[in-house]
Amino acid sequence: MEILQTLLQILIFPGLLFQVVIGLLLAGIDRKVVARMQHRVGPPILQPTYDFFKLMGKETIVPAAANKTVYLLAPVVGFVGLVILGLFVPVFGTNVFGTGADLIVILYLLTVPAVCLIVGGSASGSPYAGIGISREMVTMMSYEFPLVMVLLAVSKKVGGSALAFSMADITAWQQANGCGLFHWSLVPAALAMLLVIPAEVGTKPFDVAEAETEICEGPLVEYSGAPLGVFKLNTAVKMFIMTSLFTALFLGGIDTGIVALNAVILVAIDIVITLVSMTTLNAICARLKIEHLFKFYWTIVAALAAASLILVWLGL
Amino acid sequence: MMTVNYVASAILVVMGLYTIINDKNLIKVVLGLGIVDYGVNLFIVSVGYNMGGTAPIFSISDIMANSVLFGNGGAFFVDPVPQALTLTSIVIGACVDAMALSLVVKLYQQYKTTNTDEIRRLRG
Amino acid sequence: MSYVHFPVIAVMSLFLGAFVCAIFGKNHDKLCKAVGVLDAAWVFALIALIVKPVVFDGEIISYWMGNWSPIKGWAIGIGYEIDALGAFFALIVVFTVLMSVIYSIRYMDRDDDIYNYYTLLLMMSGSVLGLVLTGDVFNMFIMIEIMTFTAVGLTCFRNRSFGALEAGFKYLVIGSMGSSMTLLGIALLYAQCHTLNMAQLASILVNNTTPTSVLALALMFTGLGVKAYIVPFHMPAADSYAVAPTSVSMVFSGMVNKAGVYAIIRLVYILFNTMDKGSMQVLLTAFGAVTMFVGVTMALAQHDFKRLLAFHSISQIGYVITAIGLGSALGVTAGLFHALNHTLFKGLLFLCAGAVLYATGTTNLDKLGGLSKKMPKTTICFLVGAFSIAGMPPFNGFASKWMVYQAAFEKAVEGGHIYFAFITVVAVVVSVMTLASFIKVTQAVFFGQCPIELQKTEEVPFSMRLPMWIMSALCLLVGVFYDFVNKWFLAPATNAVLNATNYIDKMMGNGYAAAAGVENIQVAPAAFSFWNPLTWLVLFVVVFAAVAIVILTGKKSRGAVLETAENVDGKYATFFGGEASPFSHVSGSDLFWGFKKDWKGYFSFMDNLHSGIVNDYALWVVVALAIVTVWFNVFMK
Repeated sequence: MEILQTLLQILIFPGLLFQVVIGLLLAGIDRKVVARMQHRVGPPILQPTYDFFKLMGKETIVPAAANKTVYLLAPVVGFVGLVILGLFVPVFGTNVFGTGADLIVILYLLTVPAVCLIVGGSASGSPYAGIGISREMVTMMSYEFPLVMVLLAVSKKVGGSALAFSMADITAWQQANGCGLFHWSLVPAALAMLLVIPAEVGTKPFDVAEAETEICEGPLVEYSGAPLGVFKLNTAVKMFIMTSLFTALFLGGIDTGIVALNAVILVAIDIVITLVSMTTLNAICARLKIEHLFKFYWTIVAALAAASLILVWLGL
Repeated sequence: MMTVNYVASAILVVMGLYTIINDKNLIKVVLGLGIVDYGVNLFIVSVGYNMGGTAPIFSISDIMANSVLFGNGGAFFVDPVPQALTLTSIVIGACVDAMALSLVVKLYQQYKTTNTDEIRRLRG
Repeated sequence: MSYVHFPVIAVMSLFLGAFVCAIFGKNHDKLCKAVGVLDAAWVFALIALIVKPVVFDGEIISYWMGNWSPIKGWAIGIGYEIDALGAFFALIVVFTVLMSVIYSIRYMDRDDDIYNYYTLLLMMSGSVLGLVLTGDVFNMFIMIEIMTFTAVGLTCFRNRSFGALEAGFKYLVIGSMGSSMTLLGIALLYAQCHTLNMAQLASILVNNTTPTSVLALALMFTGLGVKAYIVPFHMPAADSYAVAPTSVSMVFSGMVNKAGVYAIIRLVYILFNTMDKGSMQVLLTAFGAVTMFVGVTMALAQHDFKRLLAFHSISQIGYVITAIGLGSALGVTAGLFHALNHTLFKGLLFLCAGAVLYATGTTNLDKLGGLSKKMPKTTICFLVGAFSIAGMPPFNGFASKWMVYQAAFEKAVEGGHIYFAFITVVAVVVSVMTLASFIKVTQAVFFGQCPIELQKTEEVPFSMRLPMWIMSALCLLVGVFYDFVNKWFLAPATNAVLNATNYIDKMMGNGYAAAAGVENIQVAPAAFSFWNPLTWLVLFVVVFAAVAIVILTGKKSRGAVLETAENVDGKYATFFGGEASPFSHVSGSDLFWGFKKDWKGYFSFMDNLHSGIVNDYALWVVVALAIVTVWFNVFMK
């Protein structure tokens, strides 16, 4: 029974199916609201879902210069990594896998889909992909630095004089002491995280790796059919996971006791965070160049995260 | 102890290091290495010196009868261990100099110069 | 014959093998190769046989040469003392030599005078093995000297290749300076304590810090740091790893700088027992952090494959020094684990670089490309190595880097110093930059388009692939079964490091250590159980199966794969590219231009520092010595 329940949790809720459905929903809402902000009608909210199923039915073409195994495996490995990562982020009380070092696991697993995108792009053999992967790698280097400091700040705040890397501890602390966001020493960290989310997901203004107008989608230039569909799915699921991570770290602690109601509240908060961090910037800003992006993350965002880390360290 | 020895060895080591850092000719750099080695050797051999001691060449019966270690006080000799260390170190110094000079010969054959400012193909 | 004699027999066999090659080997290549392989295998068997009593059962082998045991509690002979730490490093050493010798069977085919190579290689192995097994500080110095000479000889072995002689000369000058400093330190120690045996020195020095011993510590630390290639002393290492024959580069990065690390551990933990002082921890972790950072940023700017790997080697040793410098049990375990993993994955990466050099004749990142189709097996091994060094699960780099981060952050929280939290952040950032650098190499060398000159490259012969397969398998196994490695190998070694009493007692007789005031610290095996790889593997398989089922079900037309370019007809050609493109491969130097542009000031500063002039390198050594001496004198009174 235990096995069956765990299996259901991995595959249906809050695992694979839940992540896919909500991720595609968030992606759709993001596109619709951006369009509305830009005074257009925009695609229907279910458009990413239609795109995914359409792509699954298209033909896959493998370029001759590509390394076929790596080229075809990369999106799937990235997707699997994302699903496993999602199992570590709690859904308001439903925590599928809690270990003592969740934050480190999450930090590591967050690199897996990005690396799979990079390796897949590299394996495709196209020069556009080559440029795209170098930009993707620099983007990753840029946002890892403030992200590490944000996670360290939260864990020190929750743990006090011991370490608190586990999600269960963070959730319990927030239930006892109020949401993380209400503690003013964590507010700079929350801001930094809100700025890291668009870079992780790859939306404007930080999508220089997939710049459609310059390098024809960068690493994805040679992809078509089912692998491309899985890559697009990865982006959508990543949106869900990053917003859920933000919720768990800074807005956690709400537990109504009914699983369905928890899920609905989580989805609602995720939509709000998507709108605040991704959609607004997407609609207003232009794309940053890679050196500006690097400088931005290593100065402004890192300063915010470092401020939070120092404040937390001083005990405030 | 012999302060003069220690001061001299310190001066030798510093002079040797100064030569290695400052001189632009390969052979002078090797000379600097040698001078540092000599300074260190002088230091080691001075460490073992006991004022008024004799050379440490005894038969085992003399030692057992007369030595401090066996509790009878007596034969006062210079410590032999640093002498062994110094001999080893001199040999090593000679080998280092030989190897370095043979490298200098082959470097000159290849680069046609012994100026360290121009032997810089590997950098950055 | 009792296993007590095995360590000395092992060291002697290596030297004997070297002499046999030197005397009988001229014009007899096969004899040299046979002697090399047999000797390495024999020594590996010997050391493997002493692993069980020493490491698993916790015994310490103490062997006095010529049976000159201590008289009245004073050591007068040269002693070999093998505890779990020494046996751990000895196992790393003999494994590396065995892999290198198997690889050299075909790799050195195109060179002449192979007997010189085997003589020098076996002598170097013998000296490093002697270094980790000895219990006498002057014997350690001798072994360091033999190691330096043979390493210089091997660096400029191919003396007509680009920069080989120059690298050898710089290595000799800087290495010799380091050795002289070590010798001066040893002489000062002898002046203070009148003994050369490490166990006895440890018991004498335990609570007496005189100005002499502080100066000795500073000199020896700098001298051994030169051997371990910590940052101000790393420039000759970068040069020599790049120009040496690759089987030798692998031995350098896998064995020679571990010797330096081992010597530093013996120095600060056993001899001087100063690791509980905060100032010492700060110094070591500062050196380690600077090494990590400088190594990886220099690597991002390189154009040569092996020089890039050399800088990464320096950076990973920075991780080891940082972990050791933390002073806690988890820190030492993490450092030792990372040293083991570094040998495995760095050796693997160097072997792949050697395979590329053997097959194509160049290691210039700007001239290579698209080799994954010509050398698929090398590509797989390289990807395993690259993911290991970048710290991707489930490989071994992930486990050991995680341990390092955890140790650093625990130290920060326990002491309340934000300095160690900063070290953790630096470690994570360096890890991401390592990943970036290897993505660059993968794209530049293995993926992308293949240039015309390289169309004829072939896969390397089997005897060269065999060590690569073995090391890849070990990378994966050590990463998945790290718990086993921790319990059986690392915990005894950590116990040996933190616990000088057993070491002293075994050599000098029981009770000696207690009489001198050395305390006994019992160390429990570090608890590190959040990452259970087998559960993860199961999880991965389950999710993968679910995804595969979803993708594969459906109509036949889904997932059809169509190969292009050779068998594409004119109708489809226009869809795959607007015009006929010239060879447009994104090579190594074209990547990361944005990053390099942002850090232009830093990179030009670093370029000027690595000027290639031997005088500058010597100046760095002296400056570092001055800083270390001043630091110790201020903080160690």
